[in-house]
Amino acid sequence: MKKGQIDFQFFITVMALLALGLIMVFSSSSESARHIFGNAYYFINRQLLWAVISVVAMMALSKFDYHRFGKLSFPILLISGFLLVLVLVVGEEINGGKRWINLGFSTFQPSEAAKISIILFFSYSLSKNPNILKTFWTGLLPYLAVLGIFSGFLMLEPHFSGTVVILGIGVVILFVGGAKILHLAMLGVPAVVGGWILIFTSEYRMKRITAFLDPFKDKLGDGWQIIQSLYAIGSGGIFGLGLGRSRQKFLYIPEPHNDFIFSILCEELGFIGALVTILLFAALIWRGIRIAMNAPDTFGSLLAVGITTLIAVEVIINIAVVTSSMPVTGMPLPFFSYGGTALFAIMCCMGIMLNISRQSVQK
Amino acid sequence: MSESKTRMQIKKRMYFVLFCCTLLFAALIIKTGYLQIVKGDELQKQAIEQQTRDRIINSKRGTIFDCNEKPLAVSASVETVTASPAEIKANSENISPETLANGLAEILALDYNALYEKLTKNTSYEIIKRKIEKDEADRVRNYIHENKVKGIRLDADTKRFYPYGSLASHVIGFTGLDNQGLEGIEMVFDKYLKGSPGRIVSAKNAAGTDMPFKYEKLVDPQDGLNVVLTIDENIQRFAEKHLETALIENKLLKGAACIVLNPETGEILAMTTKPDYDLNNPFYIQDEQIRLAIEQLMPEEREKKREEELRKMWRNKAVVDSYEPGSTFKIFTSAMALEEKVVSLNDRFFCGGSKRVGNYNIRCWKAGGHGSQTFLEGVQNSCNPVFIEVGARVGTERFRHYFEGLGFTQKSGIELPGEAMGIFHSPNYFNEVELATCSFGQSFQITPLQMIAGVGAIANEGKLMWPHLVKQLTDSDGNVVKEYESQFVRQVISKETSQQLCSILETVVSKGTGSGAYIKGFRIAGKTGTSEKIPRGNGKYIASFVGFAPADDPQVVCLVIMDEPSAGLYYGGQIATPVVRNIMDDVLNYLGIEPAYTPEEKETLESAVPNVVGKSISESKTILAGSNLKYRIEGAGNTVISQMPKAGIKVNQQSTITLYTEENKTVTMTIVPNVLQKSVVDASNAVSKADLNIKIVGAGSAPSNGGIISYRQEPAAGESVEVGTVVTVEFRRVEAGE
Repeated sequence: MKKGQIDFQFFITVMALLALGLIMVFSSSSESARHIFGNAYYFINRQLLWAVISVVAMMALSKFDYHRFGKLSFPILLISGFLLVLVLVVGEEINGGKRWINLGFSTFQPSEAAKISIILFFSYSLSKNPNILKTFWTGLLPYLAVLGIFSGFLMLEPHFSGTVVILGIGVVILFVGGAKILHLAMLGVPAVVGGWILIFTSEYRMKRITAFLDPFKDKLGDGWQIIQSLYAIGSGGIFGLGLGRSRQKFLYIPEPHNDFIFSILCEELGFIGALVTILLFAALIWRGIRIAMNAPDTFGSLLAVGITTLIAVEVIINIAVVTSSMPVTGMPLPFFSYGGTALFAIMCCMGIMLNISRQSVQK
Repeated sequence: MSESKTRMQIKKRMYFVLFCCTLLFAALIIKTGYLQIVKGDELQKQAIEQQTRDRIINSKRGTIFDCNEKPLAVSASVETVTASPAEIKANSENISPETLANGLAEILALDYNALYEKLTKNTSYEIIKRKIEKDEADRVRNYIHENKVKGIRLDADTKRFYPYGSLASHVIGFTGLDNQGLEGIEMVFDKYLKGSPGRIVSAKNAAGTDMPFKYEKLVDPQDGLNVVLTIDENIQRFAEKHLETALIENKLLKGAACIVLNPETGEILAMTTKPDYDLNNPFYIQDEQIRLAIEQLMPEEREKKREEELRKMWRNKAVVDSYEPGSTFKIFTSAMALEEKVVSLNDRFFCGGSKRVGNYNIRCWKAGGHGSQTFLEGVQNSCNPVFIEVGARVGTERFRHYFEGLGFTQKSGIELPGEAMGIFHSPNYFNEVELATCSFGQSFQITPLQMIAGVGAIANEGKLMWPHLVKQLTDSDGNVVKEYESQFVRQVISKETSQQLCSILETVVSKGTGSGAYIKGFRIAGKTGTSEKIPRGNGKYIASFVGFAPADDPQVVCLVIMDEPSAGLYYGGQIATPVVRNIMDDVLNYLGIEPAYTPEEKETLESAVPNVVGKSISESKTILAGSNLKYRIEGAGNTVISQMPKAGIKVNQQSTITLYTEENKTVTMTIVPNVLQKSVVDASNAVSKADLNIKIVGAGSAPSNGGIISYRQEPAAGESVEVGTVVTVEFRRVEAGE
């Protein structure tokens, strides 16, 4: 392994997002923590502990040659596939979905593992067979089959947003990895039809569509979440109400430290804060793509693209949801939303990115 | 594909991915900016609406005073109990809603089920009971304290209280549950009286409980201004007392109205409509029969009927109802004719009982007619043919001019709701026949207020003043904030014509149809009126009298309207004059206006019985003679031991005082004779024949007492009383007289 410097700008961006994320978790969670557990620090203490663990893991992985994941990628894929089945059996049902496995000290979403395993497996196997995607039946189709199986398991939980992310990163890696544009375009037809069917066969997804189209129709019911989110964002104005001054976090927005944490950020820090946050993510993605371009080999490139895409898809969907630019789906905001294992997973990915950047061919 | 070519393609496609991400990020920035900058204010407003709890602190409503600063409507501090069901729910570990509902239901005397429902509603604000007094509120406070109750609050509130009950109810009006003025001055001056309420805005979370941090903004309430009326509580009371008596005696089916006015300023000193209602309970129908009738109705009709009857009860006849003034209007026809000099007092007229105008034969109220008479006598007799002739001399143009000048075609602009304007002929249809009927006050309608304002102008040197009820607005420290000056509207007739009319109208009372209003020493002037309601011939009348005094310097004008008398008599000269007389008697004495007696009046004056107890017989004789009193001695002693009537009692001159001169005197008793339905002379004779003394009240003192007979006496006939006792006999004019 060629030893070089990590991409320092990328690292700083990650740490800035993490710091901002922790501040927002504390600010947004204190009231519900007080309300539920009688302790305003309940959530932030946990998140801080996980943040420390995650940073250690990131630093460790930044020194761990990413090539050593190559041979592990297939076993990891199998294990995460197994976990997706396992969660359907032993998973804890929360809000009508079996998405979590209780580890005793924490809970963990197998979908997080699935995302990473897909990235690892796709990038490694494509880098080993550079021209495999030239054909459809023996090339592209097996990859699509893996995506299809994983998506199938996720939809059984059900976990719509997880499915979207897996499909998103899968398709992007395949695209960057050399899949024929025609083949991918043909996929669009079944994708649209499948999506349509998924929406219209589920009452709860249908409700989310109607709530998106006119949230004020059912203000206290299906439209509640999104309206509260819009109130929070709108209340922020340009300069915000000030850190810690959110009013919408007072039980108006359910679990304000989770999926809707960006609304609270907008309310407290205003458009300035929102802009800084979005630009930080943009910087991360730009540096991420740069790392991918400068990676020493195709495996590194595709791996970096996959991880960057993972962040990009999650950020875009999350902010689109809270600004009512798309129907509500439970998508956490990376680095921001409360959740220890999710943060751990992201930071591990960041560690891999740092390692790829260390082996960069040109600076 | 070569390795480098593959890398190139990967790079290109990565640029494409980066490009897509950039586009999407830009879109998100734009959307966020749009929500925060463009829609920010609107969204924030809605957010604040849901995040805050707005509690209103009611301002103290101003007091309504009479012209002597006697409070007629005051606001007392009370409290309103409110609940925050969300907080009650949050506190249910301490005290369950069931227990709480039980406890509060007992203290506040409320229904448990209804209360429980309110306390467990999915809301953040419920009103439990409005306007409770202090002791009840204290009990709630104790209960809250003892049981660690959360979510029950006592908010300061005010309640309107009317110390005089029904007095001036139609003028003052009343307020609703939210202290808003609903009728009368309370309604018209609401914006001054109510002040501006304060607010406590406090933050709340989605569960409806308080935020952990204090966010409270307090806007202090501004107390309302006080309204000082021109109404004098004493005068109002006199007017109401006598009108109430008249209402009952004459069985007035449609009620009665009375206004007392200061002609010089236009200030209304009293205004009343009977029957009235209790301001402290304005939604209670006073008439028991109506109340019972409503209870008999089907539930769906009941509310409608109840509301209709309430509106009727609240109706201020003096301002809202117009009427045909009848002969009282002859005052104005006379004023026009005298001002235009088309008639003089001694012009002669002939009344044959009717007069032909166009194709119509218009009759005088007196069948057979008044014969030959001067204009002055015509006014005294209230003779219709005379006024038809006089009206014709004035002509339609000038009649209309004066009619408008007197303010009869416009609302007066008094500070009361729902003032009516009256009805008059349109110019195109105002011809000979209409003029003839208008000349004696028929075929058009005006309001009692317009009538008294017009008479006020006649009495006030021809100057029409704006009739008004409010003198000033004061703040809570008593400083005058706004003064409502008297407003001169216009000169209607000359001062000379005014003076001439005043003396003519004085003779109406001293010699004519208005004699029932005569008061010794007070020079009452006035005019009677009787109009038959439409359709004519149904026997329904409005009797009225408008009078002012003293005739040479009018200080007070008083108008009484009696709607549909049903106890027999119905002419204004019969039933309305005594009411005005009694009111004027009280008012003029109250105002301290010195009586000025004519020589003839002096002879018939009453005098107070002097004290002769302990004096010798001869001494007593001299003293009594000095007071123009006769005497009768009982017993053989030399000193007066007791006397009847007692010292100080007012008796007519030439009354007989019985003097007892022996201890253990045997009191001579006599039976009170029946002196009802007798003339003054007959009644006096009957009383003195029974060794009793007479006190004449009512119309009996008028110089021309033809057609005047007694209708009330005290003590009643058949009672056994001591000789010398004073029998009070009240007279009225029964002779027909419009």
